[in-house]
Amino acid sequence: MLRGRLGRRRSSRLRPATNRLGPLAGLVGQPRRLLAVAGVVAVVGLFVRLELQQAVVIGLVGGAAYGLLALGLVLIYKSSGVFNFAQAEFGTVAVYALYVLKGPLGYPLALVGALLAAVLMGLVVERLIVRPLFDSPRVTLLVATAGVALMAIGLQFWIGEAKLRRIEPALSRPDRIAVLRQNVSDQQLLLVAALLALGVLLALFFSRTNLGLAILGASQEPVATELAGISVRRLSSFTWALAALLGGVAGVLFAPISGTFGPGELTRGLLIPAFTAAVLGGMTSLPGAFVGGTLVGVAQAGAISYKGLEALPGKGTVIVFLLLITVLTLRPQGLLGSRA
Amino acid sequence: MSVLETRGCSIRFGGVQAARDVSIQVGEWEIVGIIGPNGAGKTTTFNIITGFYKPNEGTVWFRGVDVTQMAVEDRTALGMGRTFQNVGLVKGSTVRENLKTAQHLRADYATVAGMLGAPRVFRTEREMAERADILLDILELGDLADTRVAGLPYGVLKRVEVATVLATDPDVLLLDEPSSGMGPEEAHRLGDTLLDLRREFGLSIAMIEHHVPLVVRVCDYVYCLNFGELLAEGKPEEVRNHPEVVRAYLGEDPDELGAA
Amino acid sequence: MTVAGPRVDLDQAEAAAEARAAAVEAEVVEKAKAEAYEAPFKPSPIGWFFRVALAAALVALVLVFPLDRPLSDVRLFSQAAIYAIIGLSLNVLLGYTGQISLGHQAFVGIGSFTSAYLVTVQQWPFAAAVAVAMAVGGLQALVLGGVALRIRGLYFALVTLSYGTVASDSLFGITRFTGGGSGQSAPLPSFAATPHRYYYFCLLVLAVVIWVDYRMMQTKGGRALLALRENPRVASTFGIDVKAYTLFAFVVAGVFAGLGGALLAHKNEVVQAQDYNFQLALIFVIMTVVGGLRSRSGVVIGSAFFALLSSGYLIEKAKVETLFRFLADNTFIPFLSKEVAALVLGPLLLLLTLTLYPGGIGQQIRPIQRWLAGHRFNLHDRGDKEVQISDVRA
Repeated sequence: MLRGRLGRRRSSRLRPATNRLGPLAGLVGQPRRLLAVAGVVAVVGLFVRLELQQAVVIGLVGGAAYGLLALGLVLIYKSSGVFNFAQAEFGTVAVYALYVLKGPLGYPLALVGALLAAVLMGLVVERLIVRPLFDSPRVTLLVATAGVALMAIGLQFWIGEAKLRRIEPALSRPDRIAVLRQNVSDQQLLLVAALLALGVLLALFFSRTNLGLAILGASQEPVATELAGISVRRLSSFTWALAALLGGVAGVLFAPISGTFGPGELTRGLLIPAFTAAVLGGMTSLPGAFVGGTLVGVAQAGAISYKGLEALPGKGTVIVFLLLITVLTLRPQGLLGSRA
Repeated sequence: MSVLETRGCSIRFGGVQAARDVSIQVGEWEIVGIIGPNGAGKTTTFNIITGFYKPNEGTVWFRGVDVTQMAVEDRTALGMGRTFQNVGLVKGSTVRENLKTAQHLRADYATVAGMLGAPRVFRTEREMAERADILLDILELGDLADTRVAGLPYGVLKRVEVATVLATDPDVLLLDEPSSGMGPEEAHRLGDTLLDLRREFGLSIAMIEHHVPLVVRVCDYVYCLNFGELLAEGKPEEVRNHPEVVRAYLGEDPDELGAA
Repeated sequence: MTVAGPRVDLDQAEAAAEARAAAVEAEVVEKAKAEAYEAPFKPSPIGWFFRVALAAALVALVLVFPLDRPLSDVRLFSQAAIYAIIGLSLNVLLGYTGQISLGHQAFVGIGSFTSAYLVTVQQWPFAAAVAVAMAVGGLQALVLGGVALRIRGLYFALVTLSYGTVASDSLFGITRFTGGGSGQSAPLPSFAATPHRYYYFCLLVLAVVIWVDYRMMQTKGGRALLALRENPRVASTFGIDVKAYTLFAFVVAGVFAGLGGALLAHKNEVVQAQDYNFQLALIFVIMTVVGGLRSRSGVVIGSAFFALLSSGYLIEKAKVETLFRFLADNTFIPFLSKEVAALVLGPLLLLLTLTLYPGGIGQQIRPIQRWLAGHRFNLHDRGDKEVQISDVRA
């Protein structure tokens, strides 16, 4: 009887209806997805009216970086219930690795090396921090990952010194095309393309492959998953590696857009917007992280370039904070999440 | 007039009807037992009475006052005291500190005055400690006053919990499985204690209890719940032999019993 | 056909099991009783001599040692005392109430800027400015506490982190209030115009904060916090208004932090927005956790330690820099400057505390504390075994 109950649960929970319909079909039948899309459209429309078209483009690019980090945050939260405050440091570490390796190896190989460095860090963090604290309360892990982030920043100050370094983009043409009168560089296009591609790949991974289903299963029913002969701990390593990879991709593609980077830069600039994006999307929804990243990026860029707000310093931070508070108080399950 | 009364209380959680039209009365000086199989809605009823849940329908009355919408701590101030199935104590503190914590409403000073060291606060604190020691002596726990709660055995914890609830100065005691974790002998002694408490403190008591001999010995009236509904009520012997009650406990369909 | 009966007497087995359980329980209770009855241990005169000597040495270290130190060192000692106040502030939230704050640099910074602004721009007297800084600190904490009642769990940690960055990026960037990039000047008060005098003033304030904190935990407010941290439901059946006391804890923490911030501003004689970054907030959390939640002395020691570590004082005095220099010159290990050391060592200590010593410094020094208070020395007396960061309910 026990097995029967677990079995039913697995089948109903592991394959949400949207996954069976495919990644895009979910947009149609579900009002809350329509709501999210309508929200994005409304924001874009509002911006065009306020003559902030360029902010939309800047925001979409920035939002792609948030989205990539948010995918990693969601992945880790979904699989182990941990808020990973070290997620952005996966990106910074990758950028440092890229910086060091691009001389001897050349840019393309260095990119691979950088992503490997991020994955390695993800595995180390999982093995040394997450696994020993596997059974402790989630808040312990939260503080621990915050400690990891601070340590990574400390190591960057130690080894890399407190100075800004130059990093050139992978693709160097600056003004490839103009979108809504905003020039977009190759690197920015690459970042957006990476988000789209990885988003679709992840959606397929979690709906079509056994490994993806196993990860979802482990998050819902760790005991049942172990009984089914799947090692939850191995899955945990895999998820952290995957999340670190996503963080690394965000880092190596985003940092060259501004052209310089320094210790802890991505944590300072990306972590909170990325978390906000994930929360907007409901914290457990991969498409939600995607949409949330876009929304946060566009809202932030809009606030920064809006004429009426010029007197206020740190507008970008304030708007993210307001978004976070608003979502958590009015719709804690996020735009795409379902009510718990 | 009854001290405590629920009138037609119902509550739903999502699609689950956890309680339906539950009406219970606890009269002055009565000891009322609430029995029923696991998942019958006994603790849910307690949670409605003490205010953790607000019923979808129905009302809760305390000495003629409608307390349905009242906050938990205000009901405590009126004189409801309750224990928990898994021991409601501050485990990091000592036994005496727990009894002092429970006298929160007796401490008629402002915390800020205490932080600045007003002399009256020291006096009140001393009185509270003395009152705690008296209660502990009554329940034969005096020797454990300075012991931390965390290490104590379960049966002792249950007694400490009763002492702690008495420290809140209740009119009505709501006990959630007071004899769990006790052997037959201890349970018998608990029965004596309850009868003593009623006599000494003038208490009314409602208790959720599985231990049938205890219920039969001390209770004046018994309610039996099943699947969130009242199945039977009456004198303990009547309820025990009620055919519906017998069936609810033994179950016709073992599968159904397992599901509950 | 005969039905096979049970091959053992089940009643007898049950009775035996019950007797065993009862015996074990009785033993535990007897042990506790025996401890209660045991004649209280009284140290011999020689024992007292050693205890008083150690206590005197500790007091001398704090009071006498700084006398002939250079001014720059004394400023750091002031900072240690101020960090201890901040640590106690955070302890009220993390330790007593079980609420997390990753934005404590905002709590502190608001106090700093309020006091600096009032003294420098509005020409207020020092005491009045500090009082207002405490009030403002309490007020902003009250607002955040209101948010904490609505947003629970890990999400609230996120809100505090975001709130902290809003403060450092936006609030502290308002030039009229904070003096812009060059910062707002905050002179030493006239009654403590030298770093030495200011140091003793900070110690005095710290002593008052410790006293207030101690008194709080001896009164109904403190007990209410401990109860609602462990179990809000049980607390409310004790008659405790859980929401009101959660807000109360935020206000107390905010007032302490505002006070610490004001003292910090006048110690540095200038307040600059870029000093109140999120690394600082994490250092605050780390020093409190490593110090040991709910252990007053542990938190004070942990905070002072991190103040001296992050300012580079400890690294300098321990002559570790020579070692770092040697390593940097002879191996591939780069030079670890004293400014960066706290960022590397702090998280390391945090992770060690979380994984191996959840009670922090407070638990480690407990045997010494008990001994000083006139008990037998017992190396294994670690007291409250459950003390750990997991107490934070998030």
